[in-house]
Formats: sequence, C-alpha cells, structure tokens
Amino acid sequence: MNRRRPGFVSALGLALVVLLVIWLVGNFVNSPSEFVNVLFIGLNYGAVYGLVALGYTIIYGILQLINFAHGDVFALSGLVSWTLLVSWLGITEDSAMLVTVAGILITLVVAMAFFAAVNAGIEFVAYRRLRSAPRLAALITAVGVSFIVQNVALAIYDVDFRSATGLIPRTDIFVAGGVSYQWNKLFVLLVTVPVLILLTWFVRATRQGKAMRATAQDRDAAAMMGINVNRTISISFALAGALAASAGLLYLLSFNMRYDTGFELGLIAFTAAVLGGIGNLTGALLGAFTIGLIQAFNEGLTWYTPGSDWTRSIVFGILIAILVFRPEGLLGERTPEGA
Amino acid sequence: MSAAQTNGGGGVILRLEDVHTYYGAIHALKGISLDVREGEIVTLIGANGAGKSTTLRSINGLNHPRRGRIVFQGRDITNEPPHEVVKMGISQSPEGRKLFPRMTVRENLEMGAFQRRDRANFKEDVDRVYSLFPRLAERRNQNAGTMSGGEQQMCAIGRALMARPKLLLLDEPSMGLAPIFVEKIFEIVREINEQGTPILLVEQNALMALDAAERGYVMETGRIALADDAHALRQNEQVRKAYLGET
Repeated sequence: MNRRRPGFVSALGLALVVLLVIWLVGNFVNSPSEFVNVLFIGLNYGAVYGLVALGYTIIYGILQLINFAHGDVFALSGLVSWTLLVSWLGITEDSAMLVTVAGILITLVVAMAFFAAVNAGIEFVAYRRLRSAPRLAALITAVGVSFIVQNVALAIYDVDFRSATGLIPRTDIFVAGGVSYQWNKLFVLLVTVPVLILLTWFVRATRQGKAMRATAQDRDAAAMMGINVNRTISISFALAGALAASAGLLYLLSFNMRYDTGFELGLIAFTAAVLGGIGNLTGALLGAFTIGLIQAFNEGLTWYTPGSDWTRSIVFGILIAILVFRPEGLLGERTPEGA
Repeated sequence: MSAAQTNGGGGVILRLEDVHTYYGAIHALKGISLDVREGEIVTLIGANGAGKSTTLRSINGLNHPRRGRIVFQGRDITNEPPHEVVKMGISQSPEGRKLFPRMTVRENLEMGAFQRRDRANFKEDVDRVYSLFPRLAERRNQNAGTMSGGEQQMCAIGRALMARPKLLLLDEPSMGLAPIFVEKIFEIVREINEQGTPILLVEQNALMALDAAERGYVMETGRIALADDAHALRQNEQVRKAYLGET
C-alpha cells in the first residue's frame, strides 16, 4: 500500500486536481443553471459508455481478454435496432406515443436477445479454442473479429449514418430557474437503471451469477466445484452482448451512428473500464460516468473551457494521470500483472 | 479399525490403469496405476514434480490422460469434463487452496455445493463444516482471501466436503502451515474418513501422511516407484532415506 511517488509528480497531480476543482466551482458560480443542465447531459453520456464498458470489464474479468470487437458489436447492434425499429416496425416521429414506446421496448428486447446470441457465438467460434494459447493470440484474434464485425456493418448499412433521434420528444419535463430536463434525457436513464439493477441482481444473487464470479476469481477452482466453465463463459459473453445492444439502441435514439461508430466509442468505454479498475463492475460504471461528465462539462460549459476539440485529449490525459497514481484503476484490485 | 477400513475389505471405488498424461509436450505421467478402496485413506507421496498433482488433475478432468483409463464406481470417467466428475461424487481441495478470494467463507462453502440439487440439506452441511472447523463459523462473513493460511486450508477442505463427496481428493493440505495447524488438519482428515469418506491424500509431508493412511504409493518422475501398506512404507529403507528425512 505504501508506494512512494517522487514529490514532483505528486505535486503535479495535486495541482491538476486543484485546477479541476477550481474550474468546476468557477463554472458553477458563473452559471449554476448551465452547470446543472450540462451535468444532465453528462449523465446520459455516462449511461451509454457504462453499458458498453460493463461488457469490456465482464469479459476481461472472466478471460483476461480485451475484447476489441465489443465496440463494433455495439455499433452493429445500434444499426440492427434501426432496422427493427424504423424499417420493420415503421415507428416514426408521428407514431402515437404508446406505439413508439411499445416499438422501442420490443426492439430493445429483440436486439438484446439477438446480440446476446451473436456475442456468445463470437466467443464460441473465435476465442474458445485459444483459451490456453498465449494471451497475445486471443488479443490479435479480437482485433480481427473487430474488423470483421465492422465490415459486416459496412456491407449491410454502407457508409450512411442512421438515427432515430426524433422518436423520443425533446419536450421539457420541468423547467425551474434556467434548469430544464427533457423526456429524451429521462428515457436513457429509464432504460439504463433497470438494466443495471437486473445485472446486479443476476451477478449477486443467481446461481449463474455466482458461477460467473467464481470463474472470474479462479477458473480451475470453479471447474473443481462442478461449475461448467464453458457455459459460464458463454453466458458472460451473452450478457456483454445484451448490454451492448441496450447501449446501441439508446445511442441510436440520441445520436447519428454508422458502421465505424463503435471504434471510438469502444475505445472510450474501454478507457472507462480501465479507469474504474478493469474487471470491477462498479468501477466500469464509475469510470464511464466520470468520462461522460468530463466530456459534457468540456463541451457544454463556457467559463474557461477548452471546448469539444479538446475532449479526447482531456479524457485520455486524465486516464494517463489516474493510471500514474493508481495503475490498478479507481476501484481495481492490484493483481500480479496489473500492479 | 472398522470393517470398512481393513485393507481389501472395501470394494475398489477408484481405479487408474496405465494413465499417461501430458502437460503440453511434457510427458508428466508415464503409466500410473493405482486403486482407492471404500473407506480407506490412500496417500500419494513423492518429491516435487513427481506428478502427484498431475495425477489428481487427471482424475478430476482438468487434464485428460492421452492413454489409459480412469474408472470411478465402475464408470469410465477418463474423458469426462470436471463438472461431470464432481457431479459423480469426486471433490477436491486443491493445492494452494484456490479459494475464491473475494467471496465470503459462506459463499465459498456454497460454491462447494454448486453441483448439488438438494438445497434442503445445504444448511445441515454448512453446520457440519462449521462443527468440524469452528473457526470458519466465526469467519463466515469474512472474505476468504483475507484469512490466514491455516484458516484458508480449513475453508478449502470444508468447501470440498460441501459436495458430499463419495471420494475426497486432498492436495497438499499441510503445505505452508504452522506445525500446530498441520496436526489439526490431519486430525480432521482422519475424522472425515471415519465418518465414511474415502480419501486420496497427496502430501509432501510423508511422515504425517503415512501415519494417517492405510496404504501408500510413492511416485518418482511420473511413475509409481513403490506401492505398499503405509506401515510397510514407513519401515522401507528407501522411503525413510528419501522422504522421511532419516539417514
């Protein structure tokens, strides 16, 4: 626990934190209502990043594999959701509210189930045989699967952007002293929160969830307890795929997306998972909301703010800074390979 | 000594016939044959790297033999996956304990019963483990990774018992423990056996192991070098020199 850092680096870190706090407080004082509005946007970014980051962290936790294909699975799931929702169910901005909500829920369930199967299939075809191979082999395979999924998306959907941003109205739920909150923002949380509650229940309380935790902590010991390790790993991939699909639909309802959207978003979500301590579910969410808020503050605030051109530099700069001080991430445990 | 424990009295529950197992390219087991009978403690002793743990990994399905046969209660289990082997009634306390460090003692015990469907007797079995190891009862809500080595070993044995095994594999239960804990662990190993569970005991502490066991096998570089009654092995000149530290 007692790791001494050179005084200079510590001072620098402290200075950065102080600067960040001054900047946030300054902005809050400058315009409290703007600050709160931007915070709401950050929560939504964080929710989408979090759903994707959980997939990275679940798979890393159980296989110590960075599943580079995960971001592309997310993007493809958003595009498939577009097909379901807009092409097949024919939901438009003019659809009645109940029809729209029902259509979105059906799409959500179908997409989650479908991408659960897709992701479990990816594991079965691409990763299972490599489980006892050197870790680099699986990693390179993951990069390959990433390209394959991305190009499948390109082949089906071409380079055009798809979106369904108008389906959830942007009308205000409440306005109070310059602070306002819209339905489309609330909707993201209305989907995310139950999904997270279900996930937590699954991992903590169910037999399969416990098998997942046991397998992540010691795969051989799990097998000796009579846990079917292959099935447990399949279920973990299914879970990650379903989470990615829920994020894909939410993204589609808020932004434009196309075949390569998953590349950058996947990297950010992966960063969130590392920031929180990879392998740790709560950590992935903490990292995701941290990054989501930083992004929103940087793009939305006005008092001495670098602006959106700097978002990536700031996000990854913070990643580097945190990893210098806590290589295991915010909530991560120090492991032999991670320390 | 009860009837079930006399040598040759019980039927053979586990039999290995000419088992060859590889670790990657390394030929780790070069034709192992051994028996475990109902009610007995059989010990497998030998130097580091002789293949003791590999023998257990061959039995429990983590490392399937390339040649030979493993028969448990008349069924060929040579190529069964580990979870099926556990279901049939073989459970193990592995070398180095291998507890789930970020689960509580109670959750670890729960994982030991994973393959069992009779939830009703779960409580009863947890209580049995707690009465064997009162220390575990005190620590039930503590994460297993935070306990001392001796406590972890108790938890690992308790976890293996939760499967209600018909055969218990114990891999180096005394490794790294203080002498007082070693005594305690061997006492409990005998107690578990007296309650009716046959045990295959892998040990580096050959003296303690031969004291506890009815029969023993001595392994050397992937082969069985000697097989005899535990008492006879204790008297054996070679064994005394190589494993009991006598000159």
